[in-house]
Amino acid sequence: MSRDGIAGLAVLAASLVLFALTLDLKVNPMVPVGPGFYPRIVLGLTALLSLGLVVSDVLSRKKTPKVREKQDLNYPLVALSFAVFALYAVALPWLGFRIATFLFVGGANALLDPPRGAKGWGRALVLALLTSLVTWLVFERWLSVLLPRGRWTGF
Amino acid sequence: MLELLGTALVNVAQMKYLVPLFFGTLAGVVGGALPGVTITMTIIVVLPFTFGLDPLQGLAAMTGVYVGGSAGGLVTAVLLGIPGTPSAIATTFDGHPMAKKGEPGRAMWLGLWASFFGGLVGGAFLILSTGPLAKFALEFGPWEFFALFVFALSMVAGLVESSLAKGLLSGGLGLIVTVLGNDPVMGQKRLTLGIPMLEGGIDFLPVLIGVFAFAQIMSEVERMGGAARLGDAVDRSLSLAVSHLKVIWEILSRPFLLLWSAFIGVVIGVLPAIGGSAANMIAYDQAKKMSKRPQHFGSGVPEGIIASESSNNANVGGSLVTIMAFGIPGDAVTAVMLGALTIHGIQSGPLFIVQNPQLAYGIFAAYLLAHPLMVLIIGLAARYMLRVVTVPKAALFPVVLVLCVIGAYALNNTMQNVYILLAFGLLGYAMVKGGFPLAPFILGVVLGDQIEINLIRAIMTDSDPWLFLTRPISGSLIALSVASLAFSIWQHYRHRARVAGAADADF
Repeated sequence: MSRDGIAGLAVLAASLVLFALTLDLKVNPMVPVGPGFYPRIVLGLTALLSLGLVVSDVLSRKKTPKVREKQDLNYPLVALSFAVFALYAVALPWLGFRIATFLFVGGANALLDPPRGAKGWGRALVLALLTSLVTWLVFERWLSVLLPRGRWTGF
Repeated sequence: MLELLGTALVNVAQMKYLVPLFFGTLAGVVGGALPGVTITMTIIVVLPFTFGLDPLQGLAAMTGVYVGGSAGGLVTAVLLGIPGTPSAIATTFDGHPMAKKGEPGRAMWLGLWASFFGGLVGGAFLILSTGPLAKFALEFGPWEFFALFVFALSMVAGLVESSLAKGLLSGGLGLIVTVLGNDPVMGQKRLTLGIPMLEGGIDFLPVLIGVFAFAQIMSEVERMGGAARLGDAVDRSLSLAVSHLKVIWEILSRPFLLLWSAFIGVVIGVLPAIGGSAANMIAYDQAKKMSKRPQHFGSGVPEGIIASESSNNANVGGSLVTIMAFGIPGDAVTAVMLGALTIHGIQSGPLFIVQNPQLAYGIFAAYLLAHPLMVLIIGLAARYMLRVVTVPKAALFPVVLVLCVIGAYALNNTMQNVYILLAFGLLGYAMVKGGFPLAPFILGVVLGDQIEINLIRAIMTDSDPWLFLTRPISGSLIALSVASLAFSIWQHYRHRARVAGAADADF
């Protein structure tokens, strides 16, 4: 089964599970159709469409076996980038915006373009420091937009 | 109308509004010029800066981004042969050859002035048609609104050439996001999956930011093998000096080409989710078909540049009509603008222009004033912008993600939206890898609640379901939805036949 078939199966499963959950929703006497009416229509449609995608995937593979094109894509770097961002999201409420942002920008920059020598590390540090400070100054001080405070650091 | 527009122009020309408009236009031009950074990503980056501003200041900045971004792509398209945005693809066909033939100034200014005039044609349409269309939409009941939103969604989902099922499924996934959390009619909890943060439902802005920002950034990251730089080979000493009167005459002496290209841009802008990328290609194709010397297209003819650039800026005017008259975002950029309105407690839709005339005319004025600003910025800074495009993406992307986090967090000062941003970032990237289009998904997320509210209202008013078909406007819109899907199916089979034909030819 190709990506289409797998995606179709995943959406079909999610639609059916959610559809089953709508059956437990209580009807509100104020509204004639209840809170599950519209979700059932949507989930029924997505279940049908995803089933269609699975069937067409199976049929098309039977007819014409697809030749996969080889592409030189750096998926480990994508996975690491997501992981670094997830760490940033987790660290924000504990370390606060300034420290977490400094670490994230420095780390992500080093990950995407590994610094060479002291000059390279210096650039990454300056970028991280400037991003953290300038965004904090612009948003907190100038635009009065509150940014996350750190539970551990207190700022 | 003219009095309101005059007052708005005077108002927006004040420093209070002119400064955000200028910086928005500048950000748009730079974002548009940077290959790999779209107007959508630029407006997502600008969004958090608008939180501390008043609604018109914020919307002026966003309008500036939209206008500036639509023209910014021409800088790299002409000078590097790399379109900064998809809406400048057709500009490279003749702009770059003209620049290579030793006329970079002529190519650049032809594009810039064509953008200016095309944008003004789009502006005239925006100003003249928004009011009457909104007035027409005021006669809509819940049946008509339901049918209109379904039509918009069916059109967007059906535009995917490669797979209609994926387009429709993508729209359906967007609708699923809106059914999680709570029922928008009675506020009753539903489908929270035991996750407390879903109890209030999911805001569409973090979803939109996550889906678009991550889909784009990670698609670039997967191709990174080091710090890719652009423009290193550009001769920065090149002269862009040109006789402006001569260039303007070159454009205005082709009035039919200018108006027809702008008309194509406007019409495509009004239709949801087709966008400037299609407008410039269609306008270029039309210009070639109408030309007496089509064989010269691609070698550096002015008609190609004029058609492409006038259509993509006129497209902005058309997109703004759809959101201001009907409350339907034509693309991701206007979806962010819709989000900015919601943050300030302003309801978009047919009542918008009646209830907020100063804001509506302020947007018109910002749109008009953004054009001379765009000419000024690109005219003065085109050569220096080539230095900006040499910024390594490894430095740019972390900064963009930080701004995305601020944009999501500042919506209601909770980390919940940052987690939603990450979750939908993963989903957005997975969708791109699976070949699922993002536009129907976002439209589903934006319109889902409104579709449900209007469906329930219609049923509560009269339980007869045939009213959706028997009321003239509603019935027509449902018929158009069916026709749109039928057309998509036909287009899909034609595309498959074409692909199969091409594959046969290869072997």
